[in-house]
Amino acid sequence: MGGPRGQFPSTQLSLLEAASSGDTLPNEALERVSALYWKPVYRFIRVKFRKSNEDAKDLTQTFFAAALQRDLFARFDPAKASFRTYLRMAVERFAANQHAARNRQKRGGNLEFEPVEEWAATAESPEQAFEREWQRQLFALALGDLRAHCEGSGKQLQFEIFEAYDLSSGDRPSYAALAARHGVAETSVTNYLAWARRMLRELVTERLRGVTAGERDLRDEIRRLWT
Amino acid sequence: MDLNDAVIDHLRQVAALPDLTGTRYELESEIGRGGMGVVYAARDRQLDRRVALKVLDSALAGEAQLIAHLEHPAIVPIYETGVLPDGRAFYAMKLVAGARLDQHLAGAPSLGERLRVLRRVGEALAFAHARGVIHRDIKPQNVMVGEFGEVYLMDWGVEAVAGTPAFRAPDDRLSQLSDVYGLGALLRFMLPASAPPALRAIADKAMRADPAVRYPDAPRLLADIERFQEGLAVEAWSEPLWHRLRRFASRNAVLLWLLAAYAGVKFLLFFLRNL
Amino acid sequence: MNKILAGLLFGLILGAIDGATAWFYPETHSMIGGILVGSSIKGMLVGLLSGWFAHKVQSTKWGIALGATLGLLFAFLVALMQHEHYLAIMMPGFVTGAIIGFLTQRTGAPSLAAKREA
Repeated sequence: MGGPRGQFPSTQLSLLEAASSGDTLPNEALERVSALYWKPVYRFIRVKFRKSNEDAKDLTQTFFAAALQRDLFARFDPAKASFRTYLRMAVERFAANQHAARNRQKRGGNLEFEPVEEWAATAESPEQAFEREWQRQLFALALGDLRAHCEGSGKQLQFEIFEAYDLSSGDRPSYAALAARHGVAETSVTNYLAWARRMLRELVTERLRGVTAGERDLRDEIRRLWT
Repeated sequence: MDLNDAVIDHLRQVAALPDLTGTRYELESEIGRGGMGVVYAARDRQLDRRVALKVLDSALAGEAQLIAHLEHPAIVPIYETGVLPDGRAFYAMKLVAGARLDQHLAGAPSLGERLRVLRRVGEALAFAHARGVIHRDIKPQNVMVGEFGEVYLMDWGVEAVAGTPAFRAPDDRLSQLSDVYGLGALLRFMLPASAPPALRAIADKAMRADPAVRYPDAPRLLADIERFQEGLAVEAWSEPLWHRLRRFASRNAVLLWLLAAYAGVKFLLFFLRNL
Repeated sequence: MNKILAGLLFGLILGAIDGATAWFYPETHSMIGGILVGSSIKGMLVGLLSGWFAHKVQSTKWGIALGATLGLLFAFLVALMQHEHYLAIMMPGFVTGAIIGFLTQRTGAPSLAAKREA
């Protein structure tokens, strides 16, 4: 992300702004999109098309390498859907085409047994899996930004406390326990958490800005995310 | 970093908490989500009291403008409006300590108490309607009963988005009659299974599909309920004869008993004399 | 109309009716006129006093109690004059008085003070 370590990440350009020169996106924008969307696309392909791990990886790689370079973004109409939805539908088209092409080759040949993974058979729909993974990746990236920012500006303590509380997957420690563990006052714990959460929110917003079409898309995605 | 779903959900909740630096408020916790935004409990540092902060997620004019000039015991007073550092609009209003209507009903209140709560809601509606304000989203989740028994009708002017369709009027254009429908739906919701048919009929009349045959306004509905409470005939229900007689008898019980005593005494004396 | 007037009217009508029921006792037919008048006067007295009370005090309970007591009292006096038929006169008189007391409480216009007290 832009800016040297420790500096607050520079404001991202939206996709529309990045593509202002033409219909193709510059590399930087593409990198941002794939950083966020790789895992969600992979998961989507696995769940929807029941692909094996290897096949899904191949397809995802192909998608990002090929489809993204071409006129993918040119056909995007911000008024109709969010970029996230548009991308997902593009993946569907792409994978369906690939699937059809492969079946044409295989006709008359031996049928391939496709193992159905346990988690692919859950109640979650492919669309939900896509969105869930997308949220996960978004937060993962923003948390990485937060960690880098804290390390660069001497706020490691804040990050540690935030990690211990907000990122814990089991029982959360009490504020008092955290205060004792790190040798600070309990009010400091409250303040640090508030600061870290505020920071995280801003970083998430910045990451979102780099992968949404424009102001309206960004606002819609923000509203969807936080409710 | 491998984040599981629970952590993601937690982060979504806490990172959404509004930044109140620069305001006089100190955030405490999220209370709930309304139609247009999220409501938090906060503390007003200057006046040292707790308030409710509604943070709007869109810049459109919220209910604050709508109801700030309405002063009524059942309408939550607005203290302040403003803009947060992150650009979102908010307003501060009275923090109601009490229970939502569905929770209040879980305590099995008497019929009289239920009708009292409904009357308060109806009075607020009548007041607002007289000043051209429509609520649009009457449902039990929007009614609070405070710790002193006071009743509040909340979340004004938000068109009923998702949520229980049972309380939404089937009207094309929302008007005061849609609110009458909502009031009837509320009444029906609040009536116990053993409620008298007159009250059910009142609710039904308010909830007719055709707005023209409902009660024309909230005061008429309340008047019908009052008639019921006084033992009079109700506009919404044409009662069978025996019910009418029963009602007459209960209203004039004392006199009827006295007359019966007189007749009884007379008959007794008559027969005793003939023994 | 005020309560005193209402009391007089109720007392007159109810007293007359009560007196008229004596017709069921054939032996009284010769005196039925006197009985009617006496009963009416008895009723009017009860009504007057009940009405005056209702004018001052708004209380259905006490209105009935006073009317019943007065009815009983005056009926007793009448029965005393006859030296007989105590029960036949006093019991209906008691209930009639109660009815008069109730009606004066429920109808007519009370005084301002009584309204305030109620």
